[in-house]
Amino acid sequence: MIDHTLSQHDVKRVLKVKIKVGELTNAEPDALAMAFEAYSKDTLCEGAELIVERVPLLGCCRDCHYEFNVKLMYFLCPNCKSTNIEVVQGEELLLESLEVE
Amino acid sequence: MDNARREIEVMANLRDSNDMQAEVNRAHFRKNNCLAINIMGSPGAGKTSLLEKTLPLLNENMSVAVIEGDIFTTKDADRISVHDVPVIQINTGGSCHLDSKMVAKVLPEFDCQSLDLMIIENVGNLVCPADFDLGEAFKVIVLSIVEGDDKPAKYPVIFRKAKAVLLNKMDLEGLTDVNMERMKQDILVINPDITIFEISCRTGKGLQDWTNWLQDKVLDFQS
Repeated sequence: MIDHTLSQHDVKRVLKVKIKVGELTNAEPDALAMAFEAYSKDTLCEGAELIVERVPLLGCCRDCHYEFNVKLMYFLCPNCKSTNIEVVQGEELLLESLEVE
Repeated sequence: MDNARREIEVMANLRDSNDMQAEVNRAHFRKNNCLAINIMGSPGAGKTSLLEKTLPLLNENMSVAVIEGDIFTTKDADRISVHDVPVIQINTGGSCHLDSKMVAKVLPEFDCQSLDLMIIENVGNLVCPADFDLGEAFKVIVLSIVEGDDKPAKYPVIFRKAKAVLLNKMDLEGLTDVNMERMKQDILVINPDITIFEISCRTGKGLQDWTNWLQDKVLDFQS
């Protein structure tokens, strides 16, 4: 995906790679950093900084529509105690942007 | 100007390459009216044992096939092949989970049109398989009670994403300190819609209920 993006721009090197990782994924920041280092060797990304933004898990109660931060995967509405919760944020695994020169 | 420091917005889903193939697989199963399920769980939880015990209980007019995921061996496929169902082993060669491309590669080897049910047994692991959609209709977890009642809380992502969880090795309940109520409560807080079965592949407990449930899901899918 990074290669594809770079192929469409005139880039000498990549300085930063920003990704967003939701809490409801098993992507672990340290493991991502290690994988990125291995991937980036001998590419335009070599030496670039990988910036991982953790996206908090947000739930919305389907019964009372209260929106809240789901802590420790405890899917219980603090407002009405319903367990009928929709995940509105926290499942993403996104390549957000590349800082390049 | 081209060489100036600047930021390129991308906003692309890093799972895209897996997710897109998963949708192709899902459409393939849909077109062939074949319910595909993804069975996940720790090594030794009893995933293959569950298949060995479930296959003979299925209606004989239900046509089923199995994909076995394993890092190196064909041991699981060997166990399934004696049950006279089409089975293909995928060796991930070190990878700790199946992905949608591995599944797509073996699908042409099945006569999907004649199948009602495709059971995909993932690599034994409670972490990574949760993040890789294979194109299945739903996921099922096998968790043996001897793994401990803290496991749902420690590996919540996989429990959030599953439709059913089978608590296996119930025959050992009195021999461990497992707190069944806590285990089930934790599962239901993570995923209130999940269906819980208490089973023992050794004694047969609960297996008929699970098989009936699974067959109902096949019928729902095909209706």
